[in-house]
Amino acid sequence: MSQQLLPTATPKRTRQAVWELLRLDRGFAVVAFLVLLAATGVGLATAPLLGRIVDLVVERSPVGAITLPVVLLVIAAIAQGVLMGVGTNFVAQVGERMLARLRERFVERALRLPLEQVERAGSGDLTARVSDDVTVIAEAVRNALPALSRSLLTIVLTLGGIAVLDWRFLVAALLAVPIQLHTVRWYARNAGPMYARQRIAVGAQQHQLLDTIGAGKTVRAFRLADDHIDRVRGKSQIAVDVALTAAKLWTKFYGRLNLAEFVGLAAVLTAGFLLVRDGDVSVGTATAAALYFHGLFNPINVALALVDDAQAAMASLARLVGVAETPPPAEPEKPAVPADASVTASGVHHAYHEGEEVLHGIDLDIRPGERVALVGASGAGKTTLAKLIAGIHSPSSGTIRIGGAPLEDLGPAGISQSVVLVTQEVHVFAGPLADDLRLASPDATEADLTEALDRVGALAWVRALPDGLDTVVGEGGHRLTAAQAQQLALARLILADPPIVILDEATAEAGSAGARVLEGATVAALAGRSALIVAHRLTQAMAADRVVVLDDGRVVESGTHTELVAAGGHYATLWQAWSDTRQNV
Amino acid sequence: MTTHAATEKQITGRQVLRGAISGQRGHVSFAALGFSAHQAGEAVVPVLIGVVIDQAIGADGSGRLFLWLGILAAVFAVLSYSYRFGARAAERAAEQAAHHIRLGLAARVLDPRGGAESGRLPGELASLATGDAQRVGAFNRALPYGIAAVAGVVVTAVALLRESVPLGLLVLLGTPPLLWLAHLLGRPLERRSEAERDRAANASGVAADLVSGLRVLKGLGAERVAVDRYRKTSQESLAATVRSARAKSVHDGGMLALNGIFLAIVALVGGRLAAEGSISIGALVAAVGLAQFLLGPLTNLSWVNSEYAQARASATRIASVLSAPPAVQPGTEKFDGPVRGEVALRGVSHAGLKDIDLHAAPGELLGVVAPDPAIAVALLECLGRDVDPVTGTVEVDAVALSSLEFGEARGALLIAAHDADLFEGSLIGNVTSNGDGAERALAAAGADEVARALPEGVDTVLTERGRSLSGGQRQRVALARALAADPPVLVLHDPTTAVDAVTEAGIAEGLREIRRGKTTIVVTTSPALLSVADRVVVIEDGKVSAQGSHGKLAAEHAGYRTAVLT
Repeated sequence: MSQQLLPTATPKRTRQAVWELLRLDRGFAVVAFLVLLAATGVGLATAPLLGRIVDLVVERSPVGAITLPVVLLVIAAIAQGVLMGVGTNFVAQVGERMLARLRERFVERALRLPLEQVERAGSGDLTARVSDDVTVIAEAVRNALPALSRSLLTIVLTLGGIAVLDWRFLVAALLAVPIQLHTVRWYARNAGPMYARQRIAVGAQQHQLLDTIGAGKTVRAFRLADDHIDRVRGKSQIAVDVALTAAKLWTKFYGRLNLAEFVGLAAVLTAGFLLVRDGDVSVGTATAAALYFHGLFNPINVALALVDDAQAAMASLARLVGVAETPPPAEPEKPAVPADASVTASGVHHAYHEGEEVLHGIDLDIRPGERVALVGASGAGKTTLAKLIAGIHSPSSGTIRIGGAPLEDLGPAGISQSVVLVTQEVHVFAGPLADDLRLASPDATEADLTEALDRVGALAWVRALPDGLDTVVGEGGHRLTAAQAQQLALARLILADPPIVILDEATAEAGSAGARVLEGATVAALAGRSALIVAHRLTQAMAADRVVVLDDGRVVESGTHTELVAAGGHYATLWQAWSDTRQNV
Repeated sequence: MTTHAATEKQITGRQVLRGAISGQRGHVSFAALGFSAHQAGEAVVPVLIGVVIDQAIGADGSGRLFLWLGILAAVFAVLSYSYRFGARAAERAAEQAAHHIRLGLAARVLDPRGGAESGRLPGELASLATGDAQRVGAFNRALPYGIAAVAGVVVTAVALLRESVPLGLLVLLGTPPLLWLAHLLGRPLERRSEAERDRAANASGVAADLVSGLRVLKGLGAERVAVDRYRKTSQESLAATVRSARAKSVHDGGMLALNGIFLAIVALVGGRLAAEGSISIGALVAAVGLAQFLLGPLTNLSWVNSEYAQARASATRIASVLSAPPAVQPGTEKFDGPVRGEVALRGVSHAGLKDIDLHAAPGELLGVVAPDPAIAVALLECLGRDVDPVTGTVEVDAVALSSLEFGEARGALLIAAHDADLFEGSLIGNVTSNGDGAERALAAAGADEVARALPEGVDTVLTERGRSLSGGQRQRVALARALAADPPVLVLHDPTTAVDAVTEAGIAEGLREIRRGKTTIVVTTSPALLSVADRVVVIEDGKVSAQGSHGKLAAEHAGYRTAVLT
């Protein structure tokens, strides 16, 4: 199984994409920057004002003289609070708007990706991008971005302040930089793989717990408890070990930053000593330089620790941009229009992988309004044929026509207007039940929805839900049973109202008693449409207009149920096993 | 149903949390020591800067400069290493406590007495064992910071009061109201922004939901509708996050201003006291510095407090699972000699079963048709002893299941549920742990065909819960596992619902062959399986309403025909 992940953007392309997103908010971003700059500047006034109070006391000024610097301190505090509040709010707004634009573009493209490509990438790839990567970026925008911009501004302005005192203080302070750069590079090199290992370990642990706890009944029945406790212990221990190794790494990171702090501080103090000795600066200036440098400890630690988050966010961005920039599938310039609801497959061969052909020349006609049941063992190619007709894959050779028009000429939009595929994979979309149904038909009135539900026999239980049609269902909402979810899928089908329907195992998972309810619903949903039904229960085949038996990628029998039973072939044997009335010995 | 609840000892959230801490008390104490030393070091650095300026730079003493830089280096070494080892100890305490809770939860869920899962979804239980266990453990990470913060506050208080009683009191009494004010300032915003954060999270939730329903969307051709809908959600979520960011900025900005004003008040009072000569300049500088420093430990304390609240909430949830009343209690008896496999239900009433009598002879292949799915589930619960029936007994070889040891009962009678889960691991490892009889079982269940379709045959590794297989493939492997276990009594529930008709016919023959001479009960409405049964019983209205061969019932019993053949 060759896995081919979805595209990832190059670092250059990612930066460009970020820039393009930012450009739309350029003016706002500049204002945000200036306000933050002003806030940081005002903040730096606190230290000299406190110094001024000390000076006034030393100079034995009258008691009232300290009122002015205190008032200034209060003003500075209020100004800094207001400016910082406004500035971070602006930064957050710019960030959030960029994020919203990015995720919307991503989802738009992701939903239009050809299913074939999504399946080749493995179902987890797209899901991981849409949940994990978007979360990583959102976290970065919400937490890292404001903290990083504040810290960087403080660092830059403080270094500027040190330089104003005397440029030689700045040189001394910068002695810490090589150690910091080296530390960050060392950390980034090790932290990436370390966090990847941690994610894998935590993921494996989570999987194991779901595996074990979700199957508690099976574990007890087969008396596998000890084995499973060992499995949980093993996976959990690995996660613990990786977390502790990661802790070693980041504690070392902070240790090295402490070293940089000491080197810088010692250098500034030594510079102060030399400059004061030579009479170049006053003791007060040397004090200010040392205190300024001490004030840098926190912002530097914050900024450097965020390098990590920034890296993770860039990697996630690259994955989002990669998908967001995938060109949408091409629609034919002049889409063909099907003449009727017929389906014709002629000479269809298909291989998922070179040399492993699963369909060997299928010829199949479905007349408008005809219901054809497809019967055969697993691996006979039933699902593949269904997918080819629904346009999810293109046959390796041969043509499939809908109403006389080849699938390629219809284009993705044309195919989905004509053919609806209902698979065994039922999904209830999170949100009000009415919204779920309206995916199939956005303009449906409540009466339409009620009618569709009634036809599939779901109206009674929908009415009994706490808020009827407005009940929130799906993930995080009211949980529907498998059979209810399938009834919902059939109601969507009625609302979408396509001329042609392909049903693949749509009643398979509900259990045999539930299956019967669904068969009734299916009959109602198929009324008036051409249908290809991948049949599991032979009762489905019995009810169809025609039965086509598939064996090893070939059509081996075709005819009505009665004809095939009478013919005494493949199908007849099967039917015999089903309806067998022999007495047991 | 259970009369044993009262005998089970109740575990409280407090006990879970206390256990998590005391189990790691060595690491927690060591971490507290380390963080205290680190905090002290951080506090000493600015003091040392003052000393260097005083003693060396102001006094032009190069020898003293080197001496004090040396001392500064020593202080840095102490603060750095104490943080390093303290943080590692705290991390260890947190992770190990979570690990133990995780194992405790898994053990309780898998306990043969059952009962832990009732009323809880599997995902919920798993998230207790990950998220909640982690949050309880995380308190071990926070607690050392809390202890260090208390130490820091005490030391600061002593230092301040020694410098000047009025100034010390101002700082000490002023700081808590300041933090309280901050809390007050934050609370309404926090509450509002929490709801808004939820709405913000909604955007990614909706996106993930759409992507996981991608096949359905594609099948319907509903991509455009979905994109429009997502755009709307995303914009709503944007408005919500922008509002909550604004709330946060107001809070942060307010805090910054309040801190600055407090500092100005300390400077005003201290400056006046110093100008009047009641305190020294050193005391003024120290008071201003300590007032700033004090905010650190006090903020830490409020953080520890919020961690505590979260840990308590998680611990309470965990405790409720750990002390869930068991569904059934073990008996003490064992079978003497090998199990013959005679099964009898005598006067069993439980959830829809009404005083039912049912009997399977040793070696019989019995089909059970229960048109009402709830009845089938109730029957399986009684047979598998997930519950004890309200009245009546379930017996194997004339011994009541409830009087048997768990191992004995489950060794004699195996229930293979309709949705039997597979596990991560190789296909063959899922079927049997020692390889005994695997080949026959695989063939009988039609799972050999499944294996042939996989890249590495029976050695192919299945993903979590066997999700890498299709429903039908999973079902066949699960059936093979039940057959390979080869118990004296095997109860199968709808083993072929997701299997195609051709394969199902093969499985029916295989099942009959491999279980020859051993008791097998198949609860199903599949005619293919029922046609190979020795005898079929129909359960309607909670009682056996008819029995006979499949052929006879199909011919004579209208209800049976409706249930099975249409």
